[in-house]
Amino acid sequence: MIKEKDYENIVVFMCNECGQGSANTAGVARMNYDPAVKIIPVQCTGQVGPIQIMDALNNGADAVACIGCCLGACHFFNGNILSMHRIKLMKKLFKELGYSDQNINQYTSRAAEGETAVGDFVDIVERLSKAIKEGGKFEVEC
Amino acid sequence: MKLNVKVFQFNGCNKCFNETILLNKESDLNVELISKPNEWKGERIDVAVVTGYILPNDKKILEKIQAHTSKIIAYGDCTTTGGVFGLANQKGHEVSPIKKLGIRVNEINGCLAEYEELRTVIIGKDLSKFKPLCKVCKRKSTCHYLDEVHRQIELSENQEMCFNDLGFLCTGYIAQECKERCVDYGSPCRGCKPMIERSGIRMLGMFGTLMGNIEVATEASKYGATDKLADIEDDVTNSLPDIVGDFFRFSLPSSGLPKGRLASMGSLLEDIFIGRLIEELPLITGLLGGSNAISMTLNVIEAYERGTKIEITEQTKKYREELRSFELDLHKAIKDQDPSKYKEITEKIRRIAGNMNLSNVFFGGFKTLVDLNDNFQDYKTNIFSVIEGDYKNGSIEYSIDTNGVIIKMKIMEGKK
Repeated sequence: MIKEKDYENIVVFMCNECGQGSANTAGVARMNYDPAVKIIPVQCTGQVGPIQIMDALNNGADAVACIGCCLGACHFFNGNILSMHRIKLMKKLFKELGYSDQNINQYTSRAAEGETAVGDFVDIVERLSKAIKEGGKFEVEC
Repeated sequence: MKLNVKVFQFNGCNKCFNETILLNKESDLNVELISKPNEWKGERIDVAVVTGYILPNDKKILEKIQAHTSKIIAYGDCTTTGGVFGLANQKGHEVSPIKKLGIRVNEINGCLAEYEELRTVIIGKDLSKFKPLCKVCKRKSTCHYLDEVHRQIELSENQEMCFNDLGFLCTGYIAQECKERCVDYGSPCRGCKPMIERSGIRMLGMFGTLMGNIEVATEASKYGATDKLADIEDDVTNSLPDIVGDFFRFSLPSSGLPKGRLASMGSLLEDIFIGRLIEELPLITGLLGGSNAISMTLNVIEAYERGTKIEITEQTKKYREELRSFELDLHKAIKDQDPSKYKEITEKIRRIAGNMNLSNVFFGGFKTLVDLNDNFQDYKTNIFSVIEGDYKNGSIEYSIDTNGVIIKMKIMEGKK
């Protein structure tokens, strides 16, 4: 276990198809990942909007990410792409407010390959470390 | 028995405060307008109306008001949500919605907030249920994904299609129907009268979804061996150069977002403007200029027109002169606290400028037809280009960058 970390909660919204599929595959293969990652299952990342992301951040999440299906493979037509648009706008919003944009991200994964999900978790942690270095944690609403 | 009503003006624009002059015509109310609340001695009152934006150090006076009345009405966006002055929180200021200071209030949203609603709440009746703005808007929506987002500099002549379908961001989705109705005067709604909590964040999600056909940058993930969202600038981010100003114009302090950490560039008033877009400038000055909104807006517009050599017609000049003279008349009516004169002049202003936020006034002319007998070609606004530079007129000086974003703003207060 890692002690005295700068972060405790990383909320990851994972879609019911490729997202959770790859996490399950990783689990079957007994792959390790950071214990701060808390997975929230959703039907499609297209369901996750700025409201859910802000709720997570305002309630103690240090970083929030969405993991959906690969581009062109969304089981609900284009939910993953729509989510990417919204997250991109949120990233810009945080930059405009003088915060790091590295604690909100979106990824894709493949259900058959557990390492895609675990790799995404590693990237989330790496980006969060960068965000903490860039200007501290996200402060709860003004 | 007459109800004893006192109206307190806190900080900032005094447009809502001036609107309460209309209460003087009501025979069942005994109204007093107090422009300096800190000098108020304190006596029992039936209804207190609070206008203007609130700072944390106003808490003491507000608690004093609360101790002397059982009903406080927060009138206007500045008091209820922080309003347009709340944009200064992006640069670390602490404009605060009145509720956050622990004051119990009845809220009336709007910029300008509606007098009829104030009257209804004062006499203790319930407000009627409002329809969503989109239900009453004349424009028709299809909600198709956008191929591109347009800025207001590329004005569209299409008066029938929804602004959002045309690619102009309109926050009407989250707004209630209202009296000001900017959408009727060629200006997309900015959501001053939200129907829902955290309206800015919700609208951001809605518009992000609408942008579905616009290309978003992705890159290969180093660890995951699949694609991920890239950090580089792309068509999505370039389409909206000022997200804070576009989506949180009236609600930044109550949006649930953290307080901004950008460096302050001057006074609170000047900080509101930094980072905003040139095409939004007349709308913002129209909102926060108070009783000087007309001269402030026209100064801003004329500075840019002179600097970039935009030709304006004689008819435009004539209407602008009329507006300026109405402003002087308005000052007189406010000084005399004359409700019928005030109403008469504001109606004249509305006839030319569309509403009290001056939505119809723009660079190069007017957005919609002022008088049915006019030839609209005589004063119609045209597409204009963004030219980097410094602009100055009267009491206002500002600089914009190549993208049309305001990078410097100077307002000499007390000078017209």
